[in-house]
Amino acid sequence: MSRTTPLIISVCYVRHAVGEPQACARFVSDIFGLQQVAGQDGELAFRSDDRFRTVSLSRDRSDGASIGIEVWDDAALQEIGERLGEQGFAVRPAKPDECRRRYVQSALLADDASGNRIDLVTRPTRSGRRYFPPRDAGIVRFHGIGLRSTDHVRDLAFWRLLGAEVTDWVGDIAYLRIDDLHHRIALHPSRQNGLLYAAFEVEALDQIMQNSYFMQENQMKIVQGPGRHSASNQIFLHVEGPEGLILSYVNGMADIGDRPRPARQFPLTATSLCTWGSESNGVPELSAQSELNRRNA
Amino acid sequence: MIQLKDVSYVRLGSPDLEQAETFATACLGLQIAERGKKALYLRSDERAHTLCYSEGDPREQTVGFEVEDEASLQDAAATLESLGHAVHAGTAQEAEQRKVKGFIGFRDPTGNHIELVVRPERNGRRYFASRDAGITGFSHIGLNSTDPARDERFWTQVCNARVSDRIGDIPLMRVNAIHHTIALVRAPQAGIQHINHQVETNDDVLRSYYHLNERRVPIVFGPGRHPTSGARFLYFKGPDSMIFEYSVGVDEIEDEATHRPRQFGFEPTSFCMWGSRPAGMALPNK
Repeated sequence: MSRTTPLIISVCYVRHAVGEPQACARFVSDIFGLQQVAGQDGELAFRSDDRFRTVSLSRDRSDGASIGIEVWDDAALQEIGERLGEQGFAVRPAKPDECRRRYVQSALLADDASGNRIDLVTRPTRSGRRYFPPRDAGIVRFHGIGLRSTDHVRDLAFWRLLGAEVTDWVGDIAYLRIDDLHHRIALHPSRQNGLLYAAFEVEALDQIMQNSYFMQENQMKIVQGPGRHSASNQIFLHVEGPEGLILSYVNGMADIGDRPRPARQFPLTATSLCTWGSESNGVPELSAQSELNRRNA
Repeated sequence: MIQLKDVSYVRLGSPDLEQAETFATACLGLQIAERGKKALYLRSDERAHTLCYSEGDPREQTVGFEVEDEASLQDAAATLESLGHAVHAGTAQEAEQRKVKGFIGFRDPTGNHIELVVRPERNGRRYFASRDAGITGFSHIGLNSTDPARDERFWTQVCNARVSDRIGDIPLMRVNAIHHTIALVRAPQAGIQHINHQVETNDDVLRSYYHLNERRVPIVFGPGRHPTSGARFLYFKGPDSMIFEYSVGVDEIEDEATHRPRQFGFEPTSFCMWGSRPAGMALPNK
């Protein structure tokens, strides 16, 4: 049976487990510019757009960290569950309390091959109130994520089962599309699992540059950028907060429409990762120097 | 009134033409038009040259502006002389050195060397850059002024410049639709404060930022964006401490008749809306 609607729609939240949520919250809100809203169960919650929340911070290492992927409907959820189960991925339905904690109606909680917790959710809650940020960082919406992968072949299989497609490769870094944009998810080979970055779209180049100078003035660590990604055309600024949390401002990603095209291979060089010439500052997954990103096959 | 059509060229003295050539090609990215024993001619667009380094004192700095024709040139000479400016009528040999049909030289009230030229040469071959900096052409200059209010009167009343915007008492003046061709900068002595080349895109500004950083060219301001003209910019230092600027996206003044200069406060955000701060480059002092 071929579907006329996609299985998954969007990356809708990141839940992050940290040792010091309050210190992290100051970075997320005061520095990066997301709106802090009331949380529950000890989680600190943040908005970036009309969604009820897109980022949360908690101390809970067991159930506090996950990536939310919005699924079309319950039928799609069921199909995803079957597909993942058949291929041997750990997946189980979320309990009502777990759904409540995620502000969603129903969910499957899955692990990719690297052990990244992926929540497949339906009807993530929206907010009737408009997004009101604490400072003029120009954030428009949550855009996508970079994920660390310790088993990129199996992790790629995981995402393909959900309907994601590779648009381009830079070395072994895979860019995955789930809608008309070049990518929403980037899989970066790594020695560890976890979120690499969460990216937030800003209005224009102006805001990327303003935020870049804002970070310098506040002595925050810019791990890369301002730069422009060669494959997707996206302008980016990756900023590191406490405990290695990387949040990014992005703008201008290529819209590649709905016509399929083969994935393109770019060499693992600095200019493939940034056409302007910026280089990663201490994050091997973003670097052309990292052996992990090099195609060995 | 002296009708300036456009800025035409800059002539700079330099004690080290070799160093100037290395910078102009490997860093700035201009095309060598002609390399003489005592002069280096550089192209940035369809014109035969827009920058000339000649062996000499780096304090020798001249800006050339194009006027309509010989008659305009003679009128301009008469106007300037009547106002007490000493006017030098360019010789045939001097005109040849400037690749123009004729010119006159004088000093503005601050003492800047200004030349008015007719029929500056074009080149039939298209501009082909020495490095991919994306340069589309020489566009404007920052000009030192010991008294901006007085010099604004000279450029707008004796010449045809119009003020597009002001930052403090610093006027940004146009002679055609482009937001500014002359930016006055308060300084204790005469001189060219910066030389601007336009580039194709934002990407070129940012690429050059990383490229020039890598080549250890001092970046003195930017990457940034001027709220006045809307241009994205990068200022960096060349030989003899001359400052060069790349910029893209300079606004055009759409309605010449109704445009009123806007007043910006004399503060950093009036020079850069992104938040970059000048380093190693003096902003005009209040």
